[in-house]
Amino acid sequence: MSERELGDRDAGPGRPLDRRRGVAGWVDPRGRRLGGWAFILNRVTGIGIVVYLYLHLGVLSLLARGPEAWDAFIAVALSPLFLFFDVVLLAGLLIHGLNGIRVTLTGFGLVLDAQKALFVALMILAAIVLLVGAIRLVEVG
Amino acid sequence: MDGPGLDGRPPTPAAGPGAPGPPDRAPGGPTRVPEGLQPPPRLELPTWEPSGAGGPTRAWVAQALTGVGLLALVTVHMIANHFVVPKGLRDFAAVVDYLSNPLIVAIEVTFLVLVSWHGLLGVRAILFDFGFSPATERRISRGLFALGVATVAYGLWLTSVIVSYR
Amino acid sequence: MSGLDGGARASSRAPSASSVEQQSAPARLRVYRHKPGAAAAPRFEIYEVPASAGATVLDALLWIRRHRDPGLMVRHSCLHASCGTCGMRIAGREALACVTSLAELGPGEVTVEPLANLPLVGDLVVDMEPSYARLRAIGRPLVRESELRPEGRPAEGIPGPTRFEDCIECGLCLSACPIVATDPRYLGPAGLAAAWRSVEEPRGGAVGRVLALADDEQGVWRCHTAWECTEACPSNVDPAGSIMRLRRAIVLAPRPKQ
Repeated sequence: MSERELGDRDAGPGRPLDRRRGVAGWVDPRGRRLGGWAFILNRVTGIGIVVYLYLHLGVLSLLARGPEAWDAFIAVALSPLFLFFDVVLLAGLLIHGLNGIRVTLTGFGLVLDAQKALFVALMILAAIVLLVGAIRLVEVG
Repeated sequence: MDGPGLDGRPPTPAAGPGAPGPPDRAPGGPTRVPEGLQPPPRLELPTWEPSGAGGPTRAWVAQALTGVGLLALVTVHMIANHFVVPKGLRDFAAVVDYLSNPLIVAIEVTFLVLVSWHGLLGVRAILFDFGFSPATERRISRGLFALGVATVAYGLWLTSVIVSYR
Repeated sequence: MSGLDGGARASSRAPSASSVEQQSAPARLRVYRHKPGAAAAPRFEIYEVPASAGATVLDALLWIRRHRDPGLMVRHSCLHASCGTCGMRIAGREALACVTSLAELGPGEVTVEPLANLPLVGDLVVDMEPSYARLRAIGRPLVRESELRPEGRPAEGIPGPTRFEDCIECGLCLSACPIVATDPRYLGPAGLAAAWRSVEEPRGGAVGRVLALADDEQGVWRCHTAWECTEACPSNVDPAGSIMRLRRAIVLAPRPKQ
């Protein structure tokens, strides 16, 4: 067997020697610094919220089927599992929304030197509001 | 790994203390590539070409502005639907009551428009991070715009159905 | 066996008391090895390298070449962080090997890999052509006005001091950027930082052309403020800040596409 047949993973006709990390470059935590965490958090929460949006819109179609269908769903929606996911949703919204403030400001060339401190401050705010919101959710539900 | 290097010569034995190391290049000329080992193929790289879309600034500004608007509207939506009602969820009657107010409908429709716009621009941004061709970028933009229109249309339809129960 | 600095020691062959004190525990390097086109798959080789005080990762790699495997491909030049040639990933972070001290990396095994997101030539050497192509597209600003201190005065006959750009074209930013990881068409931090320099200090260049290149889906708008490029940069270029300033210039001062 020639050397080239033994498993040439990189080179080959039409296949570049590219060592792009691919999506691993988005999610790999090794070597990542604060801004890199902000990036992946925003991305994950953003995807999560879009998925939730369409789930939510789908569930809302029960309203078109009238009171029985909707009120039956409401009963399920008060279960602990649902409330847990509500807390997760709230966390996602807070992280994405508050970090989004930082992304917007820096994206217009403002607050560049303080962007790390801004991220930390916003995430602390998110944690506080999440705590308050989660307690309220559990109480009310 | 003390076998022969690329040029087939044995590695220089470790020198005693105080002696300088051997030069990196073997004397006598460049290393000879042995049989069977191909030099890596030169990548055919296009010279870098822009997308030239012209609209990316508008997309970013829309993303930022809808985001700011959503900070307010998400808060309003959450409070109105989950924090001012007993048990935190509106039953059917409460939903019909809620949507009977035209101002509320205006706010919720605006919310739906902004959240679809912002969310789908975000999906577009993630997809564009894979570096598709400008033609594919345009197709993605058109497809997501259509999805956004459909989403808002669905919301308007659903609202009209609910309000008809009044 | 010669120390890592490879140079002649001042004293005799027998290790003196002071050089024995200087000898620290051997460093363990876990080095990425692969020759594209060769039969062997990419792998990591472990090397134990005697480390003297002040030794750098590059010292260790050159020692490996001299005493373990001359086939290890390593690229370097100036040995003092000016040329940008020895960029690689050390312990998971982008760095210039010539100024990365082994002692500061701690006692454990240190992983040494080539820069990510660039084509591999062999072992620790990557092809910088994708980066150069982008810099050429921008126009490669090389010179800028010097930030001469107020009390300083240029020599007689010199109208105003200039200096070289900060960017040493090392590619660390490209390896750190999450978008370069997935997007082969992204102009990237190095190119965009160069674009900002060209806009901030045109020196006779065409600002409109550069802004048009930057104001593109694959220009400034692919950046998502991860800021990893600025963190990785060994030369104070601040690509992330440059990209944001470019965005501000683009948004606040729209001009016709050229």
